[in-house]
Amino acid sequence: MGNPGSLRNMFKRIGAKATIEADPEVIRYARKIVLPGVGAFDAAMERINHAPGLLEVLRGKALTERVPVLGVCLGMQLLTRSSEEGRLAGLGWIPGTTRRFPRQDGLKVPHMGWNIASPTTPSPLTTGIDSQSRYYFVHAYWVQVDEPSHSLMRTHYGLDFDAAIGRDNIFGVQFHPEKSHRFGMQILGNFAAL
Amino acid sequence: MNLQLLDTCINNVDLQICARCIYDERVSSIQFDAEGVCNYCRQVEGLVSQYGTGQEKGETLFAGILADIKRSGAGRKYDCIVGVSGGTDSSYLVYLARHWGLRPLAVHYDNTWNSAIATMNIQKVLKCLDVDLYTHVVDNKEADDIFRAFFLSGVAEIEASTDLGYAWLLRKVAAKYSIKYILEGHSFVAEGITPLGRNYFDGRYIQAIHRRFGRVRMKTYPLMTFTRFLRSAILERTKFIRPFWYIGYSKEAARQFLGSNFDWQYYGGHHLENRMTAFCHGIYLPQKFHSDMRNNTLSARVRVGELSRAQAWAEYNTPPVIEDELVSYFKKRLGLSDAQYEAVMQSVPKSWTEFPTYKKRFERLRPLFLVLAKANLVPMSFYLKYCFPGRGPSS
Amino acid sequence: MNALRTRIIPVLLLLRESLVKTVRFGRFSYVGDPCNTVRIFNELEVDELLFLDILASREGRGPNLKMLADIADECFMPLGYGGGIRSLDDARSVFDIGFEKVAINTAAADNPDLLTRIAEQYGSQAVVASIDVRSGFWGGATVHTRSGRHNTRRDPVQWAMEVERRGAGEILLTSIDREGSWQGFDLELVRRVADSVSIPVIAHGGAGTVQDIGKVVKQAHASAVALGSMVVFQRQGMGVLVNFPEPQLIEDVLR
Repeated sequence: MGNPGSLRNMFKRIGAKATIEADPEVIRYARKIVLPGVGAFDAAMERINHAPGLLEVLRGKALTERVPVLGVCLGMQLLTRSSEEGRLAGLGWIPGTTRRFPRQDGLKVPHMGWNIASPTTPSPLTTGIDSQSRYYFVHAYWVQVDEPSHSLMRTHYGLDFDAAIGRDNIFGVQFHPEKSHRFGMQILGNFAAL
Repeated sequence: MNLQLLDTCINNVDLQICARCIYDERVSSIQFDAEGVCNYCRQVEGLVSQYGTGQEKGETLFAGILADIKRSGAGRKYDCIVGVSGGTDSSYLVYLARHWGLRPLAVHYDNTWNSAIATMNIQKVLKCLDVDLYTHVVDNKEADDIFRAFFLSGVAEIEASTDLGYAWLLRKVAAKYSIKYILEGHSFVAEGITPLGRNYFDGRYIQAIHRRFGRVRMKTYPLMTFTRFLRSAILERTKFIRPFWYIGYSKEAARQFLGSNFDWQYYGGHHLENRMTAFCHGIYLPQKFHSDMRNNTLSARVRVGELSRAQAWAEYNTPPVIEDELVSYFKKRLGLSDAQYEAVMQSVPKSWTEFPTYKKRFERLRPLFLVLAKANLVPMSFYLKYCFPGRGPSS
Repeated sequence: MNALRTRIIPVLLLLRESLVKTVRFGRFSYVGDPCNTVRIFNELEVDELLFLDILASREGRGPNLKMLADIADECFMPLGYGGGIRSLDDARSVFDIGFEKVAINTAAADNPDLLTRIAEQYGSQAVVASIDVRSGFWGGATVHTRSGRHNTRRDPVQWAMEVERRGAGEILLTSIDREGSWQGFDLELVRRVADSVSIPVIAHGGAGTVQDIGKVVKQAHASAVALGSMVVFQRQGMGVLVNFPEPQLIEDVLR
């Protein structure tokens, strides 16, 4: 789901090899995993839960083997416990929840467009990112992590929320790095170098 | 990568290299005199003397030309044409034209392979100087078909269509707007006169290659045939003026000026302003023909004392910088598979001498072209390069 | 403060495999190669790009997927495509190539349910309702489809509210009369529509200067601005030159 092709293109442009896989048997051998996502929370979790063997392999790679994992957009929201968008549980690999943007005067939802995100907690994912870096966002739900140290980048739209999160080998970005020019390339480059 | 790079230290090399510049014995039609100086250096010497470049003689000659341009353009919207590419010479020349009180029309030939740096440079300079732009965009499928034809034919002149297209476009636009003067930014001091070896272009050559290897009919490509060439020179009497042949010019100083005054960006000397040029100079010529034209500008810089021979030689023997993905973009645009691309790159190089051209005709009409060159109706460099026999590639 | 940059979006018109630019949806001039132009905008780091195939609807065909794939390969910013999308399948094939949004014009007028179906599957932010407006002889502005050849006689404001109801996430509002004119946007039209819906309205048709961008955002409440002639010509009536206004100039007029 989502636009994995564009992510693969950007990885290719920066010299990293990336392939799009759905087969758990192939994913088993991955050195790093990117979870893309556009669409609805429940639809995504259902697909993960119901694809035979997929959830076990993903859990194994992320929590046991601890390969670097990057969730993009919906993929980042899937890393949390739950979302107001759906009824199913998320992967829960980073403690936090996903909530809907409030109905507020003048606040058009979804949050769609270019916004500035600034690094907070230092992390290898955000090397070279300064406080003026901008990214392309398109989402109607936002993430709040439980632990402040798991918040790697913050941004503001109606309220402050996490633009990027991370805990050990698990990372998530709310924006679309593959659609954010050199700013996105920096993030994907940092991830590829882990 | 089969680029023939040698030791970067000029003293460790086992070839004869000109005592004054860095052209070595591999350059086509090169000769060294008793002092070890090459014929190309002597040619530049001769031109400097003839045109009085950077001296009072040159300034006076040029002042006269300027007066002619203003007179011929009186009462018209534009009095001269400047071909613009986004590069140093043409950008600076537009500035100078305005500085001299001229009313130039900028002309750009778009072969559909421009990069952002070229178009933005053109935009910035023209906007600041309040100069209008005329562009001819070739249909992308036609342009690609001609490039592809040249690539498949095995010759080096993959850029021939751009060079000739530009030359004809300038003349056509001049005729359209009744402008009698075309200003060009070429400087034999800053660039030298490129040896003809693998740099030939004329209309008959392009037609021949296209007929054999092309598939798309030429409709928007501006083809300059011999008749059109002569008619424009003799009947339209459009003059080609190269100010930098008369007045002093430093590319370095020009770049500084453009950068600070117009936010113009330097593309680093690696032809990043046009992707076909970048492919040609950075990959195609070095890899398939072992031909690296960087020695033209480097030698010129050595002659004016901007660089030492040692420095120039070292730079010449360092691999050129290439944009990522340039080869895959090239293959994609021209519809070439990896196998087709490799096959052509590995195949035996062909020369322009193996195809129909106007060369013999140019040689036979040398006296006529000398007259035309002296009257600036054809560029003097054209006369020097094309009207003498025996200028094919030496390797 | 909601610090979203106002998006400035080059709109590129496709005619078969070339880029062209039209004036008032009529005569067109050749602009260049789609892939190379996209590469230039990519280098210039523009916010977003929108491609409209101007003959697809008229010729009754769907999107040229091979060309769109070639284009998507070159882009690292959001992409939208419109032209001949008549079904969920058409939309799906465009999304699969790597485009973020589809613009639906004629098909939405014929069958508004299409907007809903695509929005349900892909989210409303992926659906742009493209509304072309032309003024009649007596001054009334109405919605046109089929590249301006068919007058639906619908009022633009009513239709804008309808498409929002049906699930469109954005509206691309094009003034056919102003297109290619460099005369500035139809501020009154943009304001009437923008004030009547809560989804973003992208103003399109007429931009001639950076000041026009400022006006249509501040006075007419456009959420985003689409540029056509301004980004492909050096000046009005002059030669083709792919360009984009300097970020500082845009910032200044939007302040």
